[in-house]
Parts: sequence; C-alpha cells; structure tokens
Amino acid sequence: MTERERSEEPGDGLSRRGLLGRASAMAVGAAVVSTSSPGAAFASDTAAAVPPAVGEHLVDVRLSVNGRPVRLRADPRWTLLDTLRERLELTGTKKGCDRGQCGACTVHVDGRRVLSCLTLAAAADGSQVRTIEGLADGDELHPMQQAFIDHDGFQCGACTSGQIMSAVALVDEGHAASDDEIREYMSGNICRCSAYPFIVDAVKAASKVMR
Amino acid sequence: MTTTSPVGAEIDRVEGRAKVTGAARYAADQRVNGKAYGYLVQSTIGLGSISSMNTAQALAAPGVIAVYSPFNPLKLYARQGDSAERYVPLQDDKVRFRGQIIGLVVAESFEQARDAAALVRTQYREEGHPRTSVAAAAPGTTVPSDAVGYPGPPSKNTVLAPGVASIDDALRDSAVTVESTFYQDPQNHCAMEPHATIAEWRDGRLTVYVGAQGPQQYAAALAGRLGVESDRVHVVSPYVGGGFGGKYKVWNDALVTAAAARDLGRPVKLVVSREQAFILNGHRPALQQTVKLGASHDGVLNAVWHETDSEDSVVGYCPNLPAEVTRALYKTPNLHFDQRQVTLDLPPISSMRAPWATPGAFALETAMDELAVKTGVDPLTLRLRNYATTSPETGRPWSSKHLDECYRVGAERFGWADRSPVPGTRVDGEWLVGMGMASGMLSATRAPASARVRFRDDGTVTVASAISDLGTGATTMLAIVAADALGVSLKTVSAELGDSALPPGVPAIGSIVTGSTVPAVQAAARDAITALITLAVQDAASPFHGKNSTDVHYQEGRLEADGRSVSFAQLLRAVGNPAVEAIATTAPGAETTRYAMDSFAAHFCEVRVNRYTGEPRVSRFTTVVDVGRVVNAKALRSQLVGGIIFGIGNALLEVNAIEDNGRLANSSLADYLVPVNADIPAIDTHWLDYPDTVFSEFGSRGMGELTTVGSSAAVGNAVYNATGIRIRDLPITLDKLIA
Repeated sequence: MTERERSEEPGDGLSRRGLLGRASAMAVGAAVVSTSSPGAAFASDTAAAVPPAVGEHLVDVRLSVNGRPVRLRADPRWTLLDTLRERLELTGTKKGCDRGQCGACTVHVDGRRVLSCLTLAAAADGSQVRTIEGLADGDELHPMQQAFIDHDGFQCGACTSGQIMSAVALVDEGHAASDDEIREYMSGNICRCSAYPFIVDAVKAASKVMR
Repeated sequence: MTTTSPVGAEIDRVEGRAKVTGAARYAADQRVNGKAYGYLVQSTIGLGSISSMNTAQALAAPGVIAVYSPFNPLKLYARQGDSAERYVPLQDDKVRFRGQIIGLVVAESFEQARDAAALVRTQYREEGHPRTSVAAAAPGTTVPSDAVGYPGPPSKNTVLAPGVASIDDALRDSAVTVESTFYQDPQNHCAMEPHATIAEWRDGRLTVYVGAQGPQQYAAALAGRLGVESDRVHVVSPYVGGGFGGKYKVWNDALVTAAAARDLGRPVKLVVSREQAFILNGHRPALQQTVKLGASHDGVLNAVWHETDSEDSVVGYCPNLPAEVTRALYKTPNLHFDQRQVTLDLPPISSMRAPWATPGAFALETAMDELAVKTGVDPLTLRLRNYATTSPETGRPWSSKHLDECYRVGAERFGWADRSPVPGTRVDGEWLVGMGMASGMLSATRAPASARVRFRDDGTVTVASAISDLGTGATTMLAIVAADALGVSLKTVSAELGDSALPPGVPAIGSIVTGSTVPAVQAAARDAITALITLAVQDAASPFHGKNSTDVHYQEGRLEADGRSVSFAQLLRAVGNPAVEAIATTAPGAETTRYAMDSFAAHFCEVRVNRYTGEPRVSRFTTVVDVGRVVNAKALRSQLVGGIIFGIGNALLEVNAIEDNGRLANSSLADYLVPVNADIPAIDTHWLDYPDTVFSEFGSRGMGELTTVGSSAAVGNAVYNATGIRIRDLPITLDKLIA
C-alpha cells in the first residue's frame, strides 16, 4: 500500500475533517495524530503542546507525513526540517548543520532522499514525507533499522536517522551492489563517531532482506 | 539453570532501538511547553571593544521578546572552577576573539530570532592586532599542570643517567640523532549534535536539557556562573550526540540561555549553528612541537627530548601537555620534556579526543620512523629494541603491559613482512603504495565513582550512575556489569545515566568511565545483595524470617536456604517492598603510586598516494590493543575503529586554518573536512585479553581515546614509505605531496 492510499483511507487514525477541525480550533501550526504509527507516542502525549504558528505572511501547506495528512499555516521561512522538529514534534530527524553539508536531516520526499534542512516546508506542499519515525511497521523494525543495531552502525546516534533514511533509499536506488558503491552513495552522511565500516556492513545485510 | 555472563560478548547497545527509531531524545528534542528561542550575535572583529550596539531594529522585529547585549546584560557571575570559560559573556564591552558572543536575541520562533539577530548593528573600536601565531609567540610559558586544576603529570621534567651533565650532552654524545619540528592548526570536534540547551526555571530551580559529558560536573559549573547552589540545577542529558571532549565544559551559549530563561521567566531553547559550534565550543589547539632523539647506530635510544608550544586561548581553558606519551613509551636513560603554552587571541580551546597524547604521539612516532630510516633498522624492530618495562621517568613497573605482543600480532595480521624498506618502490598503476606503523598509549585512570543497584518487585534490576553515554556504550556497560555481578539475565537489567540527580558519576573525559564505574557497580551489586538478605531474615512476612543471614545465600537472582528457593521479586512482593537498593562508592588505592597504568595499541597502515595528483588514501589498517578485560566486544570494536578513523582525519583531512584577523577560516562542515564513508577502508582490529587486576579487580582499563593516539603517525609513516616525502605539518594533503 502506498503512503497516499494509506493516508486517504477512512478511519485510519483521525479523519481528515476531524484533524483539520482540531487544528483550526487549537490555532496550531500543525498536528499529527495517530493511534497506530510509531509516531503515535509522540503525537498523543504532546498534541496539546504544539505551539501556535507565529510570523507574518503565513502560507497553507499540506503534507502527508508518515502516511498521515498534515495541514499547516506555515511561516514561509520554515524549513521542512524545522517544521518536522519544532511543529510536528517529529524530532527523530536531526539538525547537524542546517546547510546541507552533513546529511543528518535526510528524509524521503515522494520516495526520494532529500535534505530536509535545504527544503522549505512551503516547497514541499503536496508531498509525501517519510521520516525515521515512519520506517518501522508497528513494533517491527525496518530491516535497515535492525541491521544498524545488529552491526553497530552507530554510536552516539545523532546521524543515525539520516544514515538509515539514506541507506533505505540507496537500496531502493539500486546502489548497494558493492562495498565501494555503498561507501560512495553513503558519503553524503557524516558520522563523526565513525561507524562507517559497520554502516557498510548494515546496508549490505539489510539490502539482502529488502530485495 | 545458569545465566551466562554477558561480559566480553558481542552485546547490542541497549538503547539501540531508541536510536534507530528516532525515539531517543537528545537535548534539542526535549519537549518543553511555552519555550522561546534564542539566537546568538557574535563579534565580527578579533580584538577591541564595542562602542555601540543598535538593537532597535531587532527589538522591533516580529516576535522578538528580548535582545541582550553588553548594554542590556544578563546577570551572571565570574568564573567558578575549570569547567567554564575565562570570561563571562555580555558583562563588558571587550572583544577577546573573533566570534565572541556579544548578544542574544530571544523570540517566539527560531526563524524570528535568527533573522532579528541579523538586524543588530554593532560599532567596534579595534585595538591592536590579535595574536594568532603560535610560532610568532613561542617560546611560551611552562604552566605547572596542577596550578590550573589538573594535578598529575609535570609540565616539565628532565631525567638524566648517572654522570650525564645535561640532556644536550646526552644528545651530543649519541651516535645518531634525529631532530624534527611539527605543526598543526586547530582541529574541531564536530560532534554531529551541535550544542543545544533548553533551560526552564521553576521556583528558583533550573532544569537544563543539554548534552553534557559529566552531568554533575556540568550542573556545578553552571550553578556557579548563575549564582545559585549546585543542587538547584538539574541537568538532564540522557543522550549525547557525540562529545569527543567538546561537551564537558559549560560553554557560554548555554550560560546565556539559562540566564535569559531566568530573566524572562520562560523556558528558552538555543541550538548553536554549526558555524557557531566551530568557534564557540572549543577546538584542539594549534601546536608547534620539536622532538630530538639520540641513539646508537643500531637504534638503541640514549636520549629523548620533546618540547612543545601550544595555543592557549585568552579565554581558556586547559593546558596542552603533548609529551604525555614521550614520558613513558620508550626505554631511555635520558629524557627531557617541556610543555609550554602561548596565549593567543583566538576562540576557546578544549580537550579533543586524547587531547595530549594524539598530537604528542604524532610527533614522537614520526620521529621514531625517521630514526628507523636513519639507522636502517626496521620500524617494528626499533620499537621492540627500545621497549620499556618500567617507566623511564618514574621507574615504576606497569600494572599490565603487553604492547610487545600487540606489535607482533599486528605485524602478522597486517603482513608487515611484505613492506619494502625503500620508499617509493611499490607501485600499483597510478598509485604509490606504502606501509607505516606506530604505537599508541593512553594513561589508564580511575576516579572515585558511585553507582546504585536496585532490585525491583517486578523482577527487574536497575543500575544507575550519573555518567554520560556519548555513543561510547556506557549505558550498555552499566547493564552488562550489573547483570554479571548479580548473575541475572541482561534483559532484566535497565540502566540509568545522564542525569545529575543520580549517584555521583565520573565525567566522560580521559577514558575513565568504564575503569572507574565498573568497580562501583560491582560494589553496589554486592551491597544490594546484602540488603536483600537482611530484608529476607528480618521481615516477618519473609519466608526466611528469623534465619541467620549467613545461612541465606544469593545466587542468580534467587535467595536460597534450607532447600527453599525464592526469587528476589517473590521476596519483595511477599514483604510488600517495591524495591531494595544499595549505593556504593569505590576509588583507586595505593596501586596508583606503585605502578604505571596505561592502555596500549599497535597500528599498521597501508596508504596509496596517487603519482600524478598526490592524493593520499588509506587502503588498509590493522590495530591491535591491550586494554585489559573487555566488557563488550561490539562496543569495543566500534570505539577502536572510531578512534582510528579520527586519527585518519587528523592525519589527512582536518584543519581549521587561522587567518591573521583571528578568524578560524574553515568553520563549516563544507570547509572543514572530516572523514566520510568513501574515505575509509575495511579496518582490522584485534584485542588481547589480559585482565589488569592491579588496575581493578575486574581488570578493565579505559580505551575510548586510545586508538586516536598514534594512528595519525602510522598514516604519515606510510605516506613516507610510499613517496619518500616526510610531511610534518598536519594535515598531509595532496598539495604538500606534489610540491
């Protein structure tokens, strides 16, 4: 099932109308509400805390985030990264440099890996966004997440969300054919703890399961 | 049924699931309602004073709540202890370095604060030229290390053999001498998590969410600067997104955030930009150092001489003592070192992964390679020929030392015998291939530490200490050691750390966490068992009530007496206690005055240097270490590999060049190169298994920084072997190899 199909399925979490009603009643910048996605814990215990949109010249932005529809009144300066982190409270996506130099903020937009720090929320209007919180299937980890644990493909964890989102896309792109190819196509994601050899091991292992 | 001890096995990180699902909340991820956002204003000159600041436009910008500056300062207090910088921000009009914090804008949103900060207009009076050159300022001053809060190794010492009048005489009387001078510019930690602070005051008490390498040490230093008691500051730091020495100190960005939150009566969040982190959150200092070696024709050392001049920023904060390794690595009858500091008008310096030993070992181990070339002795043979079994400075034996075995095992695994001793003779297409080796050594230190072990009535155990996990595996270490000490399954143990309210823990500096904390956990486990037995014999509802405590035995989570066996959970439920716990404190003993204690590494590296472009690339690396008993093989391997890659970056990539105006020129992740995946080959690591039972009963020494030491020298020595070109100014970049 694609994310679009899932997001439009009636009764899957809150209805779109219910969500929008709630959003407008709270005058919030955004809301993600779900009962079954991995992000549910974040949303349910913090939905009331979503800060109001502030700023001038606000624009309407509609996104699907991890299969859930989201409507925002967005400051046009908001990056997709800051929107996820500060408005939707999806803080699994990390800000490492805010300049597109480190890869920590990598998410999938319409199935492609992008740097969410270099993507304005307004420019992502109408897009399907997938973050690290949307990767697992309930309690069952995505094979790439499991492989990162198995092979110790991280230490501090600050780059890990971006590494995993890049790695999943890399396999989908067909760039996991050899160690050298994995190294090359994972080189947009810096890991200062330097788990690089173990990241290569993890991507190799997961790519076999993902096929 | 016997529970298998997890000690030494390949154990997944216990917090792994939280990290791969994005659920782990680092400082900037913490949920705090009603927070405002801060953004820093920095000086754009390197030395002088501020004559005026126009903040009207910024104050009038949408969403702006406050603009703090030297003309509208925050209430802060002067320096308290060593964990803070030497100046207090916003208290005067002085500009001490380029990029200094001169203002703080607080607004309703991050975007508003950032954009308003750009509207602040500052007029300066430049006052002279900032001091920016180590070479120009050298020689510096020898600062007694204990005079600045670092008791321990002397900054300067000379040891002479009987009848030798001076170290210069010893060098002059040596058949072969080597003299080399080395230089490196500042380098930056670049932890992937930039420094972030969320500060929230309630009833005069501060909760601060921050990445802290030592939660309690951080709380104490922050409290001092804020003028409140330490127990009024609660540091919450469950996850730290990398530290490498850069998250020990209370930096001024955190300080102004906490002070602004107090002033506004509202939580404030401030995340420094990556560019600001390069300036405000410390760097490995610029360093010039000279090594002289005197030896016989067959390479036996007669004299070792090491003098250093290291950048000490005018704003702090620690002396650089790079001769740490020189003091003890080789047997020599004559030894001299002097470690000087030169004060420059540059941003604050800080400890960065093996801060002293990493640059020191690069110099010493490069000089040893030069001695090998000059004497014609194989570099590995040269090191074995000068192998120290007692410290040349103190005469003490090592608690446990198997570096010789590291050399031999490493050489075998790597294929050192295939190395050509003649540089530039191995060619593979457009690549020149070379091999180099070097030693690593890191002092093993224990500090007083406390831990708590708690049996709970749901059958689980918690283990806690106020330490930090920077990615080191400390959380998993706590759980492993507690499971082992109690003979229970690892799955039943949960570990707590990263909180200043927990029992006193050591900071994650100097690779001391495992060595210091393991004995405390073991002692707490023993005491918790005693408390459990006491409860069992004293509580009327206990099945063992009235028995002699010596007749009740604990084994693998159960109490047994007279053929009756009860789990601790059953006992606790029977007596109606939710938990039984013990807190224990342990400290090193007299062994520290009788023995030298260090961890050891032998590095072997193969590089390929492009014949046409000069591009150097590491193609193979083998490292063998002696670190005592291993707690977690998986975490150990990751730490070893991470340290080696840090060394590769140190050798080939990393430089933050100093401009004449005091600007650190490479302060972004585009301009400051750290290793990426494509830079790194498969890396072979191996560890010997010799528990150091002098160091502690458990026998585990620290190793988090060990493999950063010497790995850069192994790379440089391999580059020499490939090309015949000796580069003594780091990093070894292609321009230097085609010059």
